Amino acid sequence: MSLISVNHFSKYYTVYKKEPGFMGSVKSLLVRKYEEVKAVDDISFSVESGELIGFIGPNGAGKTTTLKSLTGLLYPTKGEVSVLGYTPFERKHAFLKEISLVMGQKNQLLWDLPAIDSFILNKEMYGIADKTFKSQLNELTELLDVKAFLEIPIRKLSLGQRMKMELIGALIHNPKVLFLDEPTIGLDVVVQKNLREFIAEYNKKYEATILLTSHYMKDVEALCKRVIMINHGKILFDGELSKLIEQYAPTKEVSAVLGNKISEKDIVKIGEVKRYLAPQITLRIPRAHIGDAVKKLIEIGNVEDLSVQDPDIEDVIRDIFSAKNPQES
Amino acid sequence: MQTYILIAKSVWDQKFAYRLNFILWRVRNVIQFLATYYLWFSVVPVNGSIAGYSQHMMLTYVLGTLLVSAFTLTTALGDVGPEIQNGDLSNSLIRPLNYFMYWMAKDAGDKAANLFFSVIEIALIILLLRPPFYWQTNPWYLLASVICILLAIVMNFLINMILGFIAFWSPEIWAPRFLTMIIIQFLGGSLFPLDIFPKIMVQIFQVLPFQYLVYFPLKVYLGQIPLMQILIGFVTMIVWIGIMWISCQMIWRKGLYVYSAEGR
Repeated sequence: MSLISVNHFSKYYTVYKKEPGFMGSVKSLLVRKYEEVKAVDDISFSVESGELIGFIGPNGAGKTTTLKSLTGLLYPTKGEVSVLGYTPFERKHAFLKEISLVMGQKNQLLWDLPAIDSFILNKEMYGIADKTFKSQLNELTELLDVKAFLEIPIRKLSLGQRMKMELIGALIHNPKVLFLDEPTIGLDVVVQKNLREFIAEYNKKYEATILLTSHYMKDVEALCKRVIMINHGKILFDGELSKLIEQYAPTKEVSAVLGNKISEKDIVKIGEVKRYLAPQITLRIPRAHIGDAVKKLIEIGNVEDLSVQDPDIEDVIRDIFSAKNPQES
Repeated sequence: MQTYILIAKSVWDQKFAYRLNFILWRVRNVIQFLATYYLWFSVVPVNGSIAGYSQHMMLTYVLGTLLVSAFTLTTALGDVGPEIQNGDLSNSLIRPLNYFMYWMAKDAGDKAANLFFSVIEIALIILLLRPPFYWQTNPWYLLASVICILLAIVMNFLINMILGFIAFWSPEIWAPRFLTMIIIQFLGGSLFPLDIFPKIMVQIFQVLPFQYLVYFPLKVYLGQIPLMQILIGFVTMIVWIGIMWISCQMIWRKGLYVYSAEGR
């Protein structure tokens, strides 16, 4: 059996609508129009032990709703969710001791007190032995380089330091499954990279299963072999990241530095021009015609430098989402 | 258990992280008390009485409300509703915690911090104003009032919990809470002893839960309630606690089904 299995899971919210303005408010006091919003609509997938999976999708796609249901915060409207053989919504303590959820936009540590106070509280809550606690805390603070800030109240820490502390708080009981919801949001590139490396290492070392959502494709690219792409509550793609690119990006990018000056008109004959900044050009060429295109380029352009690359993953994802729903993006 | 002791302690610590806030809150309590105190001081003539209360008895009562409500009415549960609303409830839900125990611990920490100051305030008031304070020496009345206060604490806990749970369904939690606070202050007997009302009112109050939060424990302490009435009071309190406990559990379970972990 899979570590996590999700079967035809749906989550609907009822929200009420208010017409704008004062009269709208008065009206809504008397009669309210309720509407059902399908945050997640009939999705199924399963996760094996030790996987590191990335959920991608625009805001409101249903990623966070899925994570919240997997951690037992939300009651599924339809379908079944099972994690480690438990039904998350029952919130059995044995289950809760094996998981952790980190939300990039939410604090879990006690705001006014130093991180160490929260960690000691977690130690008792999760029943961690003294020795394990000490070594685990030591290792995590060293890996994330925050040892010096343990005794400073959380609210005085920088966002990056705080996020690292949040991660330590979530990992101190060594959970089997870790849910990360936008863990790198708002962080500078250095800290982002730090966290990425840390997450990868943690996944390897403890064989922990990690589910991650992020808006930064760099996170997903660097960490996840498998991605699940969600939009409008439905799964658009579930598989390896490289397959996603193959499937959704039928073209590759051919970049070249040309020795001869060629007019844009001639280049268009070879393929779609993405960038023309003589002597540098970048073309979008269908995968099947790469060979021909390169040959032609060399013939006419006196090529000095040449490279063939997959398109930027961020571009691919953006194209997918904007194609499905042009009014967003 | 150690977990909940640590939680209670962290509430105490956090209270002192915002010292000025907390001290001003206490000052507000003292001013409110002084207003009531001097009102009765001037209304009841020195040698006369109102509704059977001499000035001495009335002032003793008013001072007593300060002490009793420090035990029974202070609460950390004002945060239950806002936590549900802004999604912070999720933090408690994803941890191996008993939610009710968690709030009991927080409530205890909050009461401890408030009591710590109450004791200082009351000592100062007694020293400066020299009001007629009544020291109960009969151990039976003392025991009865301790039981009474413990039951009142549980009752107040459940009332506040239910008020907080409104947040599962409606964002408007402030108004019901405010209304209930006013009712508790009035019908609970924080402003004046309830037996100055006509008999029929007094009988209605005996069936409602509110008088058991301040008035009843205080009257038991002052030794002004006969034994039979004390026992009837205990039974009434226990029945109310039972009703509230069951409702509280039901509402909690229903609430979790509609909880949407908002806030992001």
